[in-house]
Amino acid sequence: MAELEVALIGAGGIARTHLPAWVALGARVRLYAPDGRAPELAREFGATSVGSLREAIAGSAVVDVCTPTDTHREITLAAVAAGAHVLCEKPLALSADEAGEMADAAQEAGVRLYPGHVVRFFPAYARLRDLVAGGGLGRVAVARFTRTGRYPTWSGWFADPVRSGGILTDQMIHDFDIARWLFGEVVRVHARHQGHLTAPAPEGAVATGTAVLTHAGGAITQVVGVWGPPATPFRTTFHVSGTGGTVQHDSQAHLDLRITGAVSGSPADGIPGGDFGESPYCTQIREFAEAFAGGPEPRVSGQDGVAAVRIAEAAAQSARTGRTVELAPLTPQPTTVPTGGIDQ
Amino acid sequence: MRVAVLSFAHVHAATYIGLLRERDGIELITADPDAPPGDPTRGRQLAQSLGAAYADTWDEVFALRPDAVVVTSENARHRHLVERAAATGAHVLCEKPLATTEADARVMIDACERAGVGLMTAYPVRFSPAFTALRRALADGSLGGLISVHGANNGSNPARSHPWFADPELAGGGALADHTVHIADLVDALLDGEQAAEVYAQANSILADDGPAPDVETAALVTVRYPSGLVAAVDASWSHPPDHPTWGGLAMTCVGEKAIVEFDAFPPLLGGFDSATGRDRWEAGGTDLDAAMLEEFLDTVRTGRRPSPDGETGLRTLRIVLAAYESLRTGQPVALPDALGTTGG
Repeated sequence: MAELEVALIGAGGIARTHLPAWVALGARVRLYAPDGRAPELAREFGATSVGSLREAIAGSAVVDVCTPTDTHREITLAAVAAGAHVLCEKPLALSADEAGEMADAAQEAGVRLYPGHVVRFFPAYARLRDLVAGGGLGRVAVARFTRTGRYPTWSGWFADPVRSGGILTDQMIHDFDIARWLFGEVVRVHARHQGHLTAPAPEGAVATGTAVLTHAGGAITQVVGVWGPPATPFRTTFHVSGTGGTVQHDSQAHLDLRITGAVSGSPADGIPGGDFGESPYCTQIREFAEAFAGGPEPRVSGQDGVAAVRIAEAAAQSARTGRTVELAPLTPQPTTVPTGGIDQ
Repeated sequence: MRVAVLSFAHVHAATYIGLLRERDGIELITADPDAPPGDPTRGRQLAQSLGAAYADTWDEVFALRPDAVVVTSENARHRHLVERAAATGAHVLCEKPLATTEADARVMIDACERAGVGLMTAYPVRFSPAFTALRRALADGSLGGLISVHGANNGSNPARSHPWFADPELAGGGALADHTVHIADLVDALLDGEQAAEVYAQANSILADDGPAPDVETAALVTVRYPSGLVAAVDASWSHPPDHPTWGGLAMTCVGEKAIVEFDAFPPLLGGFDSATGRDRWEAGGTDLDAAMLEEFLDTVRTGRRPSPDGETGLRTLRIVLAAYESLRTGQPVALPDALGTTGG
């Protein structure tokens, strides 16, 4: 992987997880962040900081988009136009139309676009997928997923629905993607969100979202997202029931290493680092890098990213209108989301 | 005090008989005249195996003028027993769901009201001391305002041993009716009886024990919105396989403005592995919630104070179930007819 030229755009929390993964793969990384934080992050990991998006993209084989969601489309389209493959952080975009436009542009340009649905690379979720796909749970009937962390007040745009889509789109899209990956296309979505749903979000803000997904095959999934009080530890859980039994996971239940007695506020309180195997971010980037180099398709595609945005957009619409949103079958192309007209 | 356990249709009848038989000062009488003849798990045979006195007919048991009755018939057959108990002047503890229709529940509540007897709905989980602590933490403001609740009440399919649980007429539904009400009752307690405003539900009957699809749903997800803005997301599935080490469980997470609280009504006391069964060992811990609930009921009978959870609680939680079934039919959230907090009647 030596000499792979990567432009990493953004210098926030996700860039901080991607950059060491690229460095570990031997890539040459040019870092640009509109907020001026690139030089510091670049120094920390021995990357090069550049002064403009154009400068970062020029000559790069891969552009890794780690900026706020409302900027993904513009940066991705610029990268695609320059002939670069793109890894774009999730959600691909705030609307399925925009996400679809990005995927189409990549396809027309003959480059790859992969969304950073990193949860597919977390060992517990990857194993769950193996179990379900291998029939270990029989036919799945009902599943629930929770994702809990502190409210992301450290960066103002998360709380702004116009920039991030809010908790349903920014956070719960992880489990929307997982549910669709495991149990198939989603045909009906109902969601609610409550708590502090606007920017600015003060320290101590709390918001939650709940969604029920109905899959074409009949399984039903509950997704719960929590942006909790400041001392909330990051934690994810799932519980899946099928005709072959149940499976459950709690990321806080069985730790390789549990540290107690230290003063709280130590590093790694924010984004999870996985366990002591390879970082899931690293697994993700290695798998994408191999695909960019002509290797096998990774476990997540650009169309998966579009489909996840479509579910999130339906959830946001449901939360806004209070109604269920029906999703038409995905093939051949994503369509706009119809509402009402329910016929069981 | 003379207490009658009426019908052995419900799996809890034997539990109540066991608890009442142990108590001093209780004269226990039982009756199960609607039992299928010859069923060793029902009727006089069950009463004898449990060492409980038995009456052969409803007339006979009500002629004994019990001070209190525990109604453990099929859900759709609660009403006639509750009406009869009220007419006899007996206080009532009625299994959940209180009824299968709002009309039946209303008649039962009114009958007890007119007769001046208490009507308590059998929701044992709120008697957990841990839940009491949760209520106190909410009441004293240390959680801040409640934003949402998510919980799971999963368990074994009771129709495996008691087929009427999967009879839409007798049970009023399947897992959704059977399990949604427990978490609905806990939220009812946390919100001091606020009537839900809107309910959304999805369900299926995929879990069928390798048999034909049952007539009722075996998996259900229910989302309930309350006028104050609180949303409760509930997994009410009968998703424990037949050989699961526990019958059922109930866990609930409350997200407040200041803290997140997780409540487990049935935490294991001990775990491990049991070579004899080849399964995980699961030694139940915690308080005997059925005993705590019975204690409260008997105390209300002695003192004449109003029981809690009462019939109105039973009706409010039943309305959530009925709206959930309407939501299954329409595919849309269903507004409760009485969403402004008044309970009518």
